[in-house]
Amino acid sequence: MSGKENAFKPLDPLLHSELRLAVMSILLVAGSADFVYLKTETGATSGNLSVQLEKLQQAGYIEVTKGFKGKMPQTVCSITDHGRDAFAAYVEALRSYISVPDR
Amino acid sequence: MENNFSAENSLRLISETIERSRRTITKNAGKPLILWGTLVTVTSLVIWLLWSKTGSPAWNFLWFAMSAIGIICGRVMDRGKEKAAVTELTRTLGKIWGWFGIFATSFFALVWIAWGIRSAVGIEGTLSVDLSMVILMMMGLCGTISGAVLKNKTLVIFSLVATLLSALFLMVMPGGSPLRILTFAILGIFALIIPGFILQNNK
Repeated sequence: MSGKENAFKPLDPLLHSELRLAVMSILLVAGSADFVYLKTETGATSGNLSVQLEKLQQAGYIEVTKGFKGKMPQTVCSITDHGRDAFAAYVEALRSYISVPDR
Repeated sequence: MENNFSAENSLRLISETIERSRRTITKNAGKPLILWGTLVTVTSLVIWLLWSKTGSPAWNFLWFAMSAIGIICGRVMDRGKEKAAVTELTRTLGKIWGWFGIFATSFFALVWIAWGIRSAVGIEGTLSVDLSMVILMMMGLCGTISGAVLKNKTLVIFSLVATLLSALFLMVMPGGSPLRILTFAILGIFALIIPGFILQNNK
C-alpha cells in the first residue's frame, strides 16, 4: 500500500449523498432556509427531502424549526456549527481523493 | 441519488449548488431594490415639483406616505410568491433596510420636532442640520453593506459611487433649494433601480 493510498480520508457517508450534500451546500450559503426553498432549489420530492432532512437533523448537522408564517405552516432548516465542521471535513476528504500526486 | 458518485462529482455538485443558491438569493434581492428605488425616485420628483411650485418644504411629509406605500407593496409582493426563499441572507437584508427605515423616519420626525420646539420657544437662527445628507449617507451605507453581504460587487460599486455623486450634488446645490431633493432621484436610479435590474437579470 502506497503512502498516497494511506492519505485518503474516509468520506462521511451521511454527506456522501447527492440530495443531502445539496441541502448542506445551500444551507452553507444561506445559513437557514425554509422547506419550500430547499425543495425548489434541489428539485427533490417533499417525501424524499423530509427523509434526508431528518437524517441530517439526527446527525446534528442541521436544526429544524417548525412554525408559522402568517397562517401558513413553515419549516425552517438551519446549519449547525457541527454541520459546518462536518462539511469542511468532507470537502477536505474529497480533496485527498482528487489531489495530483507529487512528482 | 445515493452514495455512488465520485469525488469529482461531489465537488462539482457542491460548487454548482453553492453558485446557484447564491444566484437565487441575489436575484431575489433585486425586486425590493427596484420597488424602493422607483418609489424614492418618483417621490423625490413629485416633492421637487410641488415644492418648486408652492415654495413649501412641507411636501417632504410625502416621504412618510412613500414609506407606507412601500411597506404595503412589499407585503403584497411577498404574499404573491408563496414559495419565497427565507434565508439568513434575505433576513439580514430585511433587517438592514428595516433599521434604515426606522432611523430615517425617526431622524426626519426629530428635525420637525426640533423645528417646532425652536418656533415655540422663539430660538432664532438656522436649524443647522442637513437632513438630506444624513439620510443620503445612511441609504448609501445600507446599499453598500447589502452588496457586501450578498458578495455582489455591482451593488457595492453602484451604491458607493451613486452615494458619493449624490453627496457631491447635494454639496453643490444651494441650501434650502428644492433642487436638493433631486439627490434622492439620482440615488434611487443609480443605487437602487439599476443594481436591482442587474441583480434580477443575473444569470
